[in-house]
Amino acid sequence: MSEAGTQGKDLGLLLCNVCHKVNSAHLSHCCRCGEAISERDYSSLHKSWALLLTAAILLIPANIYPITTLVNQGVVTQDTIFSGIKHLVDSDMLPIAIIVFTASILVPWLKIIGLAIYLTAISFHLPIPKRLLMGGFHIIEWIGRWSMLDLFVISLTVALVNMGQLLDAKPAPAATAFALVILLTQLAAKVLDTRLLWDRLELEHDAN
Amino acid sequence: MQDDAVDQTVILCRACDMAVRKRALPSGVRALCPRCHTALYDTPYCSINGMLALCVAALAFYLPANLFPVLELHFLGSVRTASVVEGAMAVMSLGYWVVGVAVLTAAVVAPGILLLSILGQILLIKAGLKQGWQRTTYEWLLEQHGLLSQLTMLEIYVISFLVSAFQLADFSDIYFGVGTFCFTMLFLVTLFLQREYNLEHMWSYLDV
Repeated sequence: MSEAGTQGKDLGLLLCNVCHKVNSAHLSHCCRCGEAISERDYSSLHKSWALLLTAAILLIPANIYPITTLVNQGVVTQDTIFSGIKHLVDSDMLPIAIIVFTASILVPWLKIIGLAIYLTAISFHLPIPKRLLMGGFHIIEWIGRWSMLDLFVISLTVALVNMGQLLDAKPAPAATAFALVILLTQLAAKVLDTRLLWDRLELEHDAN
Repeated sequence: MQDDAVDQTVILCRACDMAVRKRALPSGVRALCPRCHTALYDTPYCSINGMLALCVAALAFYLPANLFPVLELHFLGSVRTASVVEGAMAVMSLGYWVVGVAVLTAAVVAPGILLLSILGQILLIKAGLKQGWQRTTYEWLLEQHGLLSQLTMLEIYVISFLVSAFQLADFSDIYFGVGTFCFTMLFLVTLFLQREYNLEHMWSYLDV
């Protein structure tokens, strides 16, 4: 198979999405795992857009509203994701601050912006190098899970720190929004049939 | 290429549908798609007995890792402890059930089911996959595997109890418990198990 990019669909071959077996294209179900196979899933683009837009909207409350409430000797302080990180920097815990910043600000924003660029490129045939897009997509898929860090930290802190008026930690509304952002962006990346990128742009930019 | 007998040396990239001819690889080397750099295949070093050993070891750590406290907080003479499950329950009891369910799924439920599923697969292979029900169960387990391994986030949880420990060290003394050790071991053993496990190779047991 040459470097020019012979696609399976030109050879009459189809990859099963579930077990990755190469099937003959005239089959409707995979001959190994029996799952339905199709050449391309065009509706996946719309599903992915819908999930991504919902996540982008939820990212706003996740960042504006407080994510934790802390009662320290009767004084109630509410921390948003950002002020929590600022607090870490102020108390000289820079390495921890960097970890938390990456997991709860950088990764979600990168994911949403990255996926948006990716989907726009497919939907509107933007002339962005496909290798770059695919490389970005792999990074997005890989780092996406790290956002869970903040939720794990909140759950541990809440379970440990509950001493009434003296010292008490509770989650605040942004926690739910943040959890949904993680869930929806993961789904948006998972649902997309990435083969579409390589089909649609092919027509205009790699015509040789 | 004949129409029905699909050439088994050709594989398709699952991300961009490029057709690539499969070659033998030296061990420890991964084949990447020449066009979009998605990992295509590597030489499986899947030893069934090795996986069985790792799987049993992981299951042995599973219960103590989830039931014993991962963090202990000593504050003005009172000792508070939190286990993984308690953390999730504490958040849920405060009404943030989305967060609680996310934590519980990623750190407790998904890893547990993943380990049981791999154990089941290994036992089915050992039983020979001869009967119809064995093949159907095996197929079903493999189909769920991708989702389960994506939901398993043990490594992020390990980082999160380190982050929590640093954050809370501001207020009080923090100690690690038996659960910390068990959870870290669970993470390490599962990590090696997942390195050993190769989904493509597991599917190929159905071919013969």
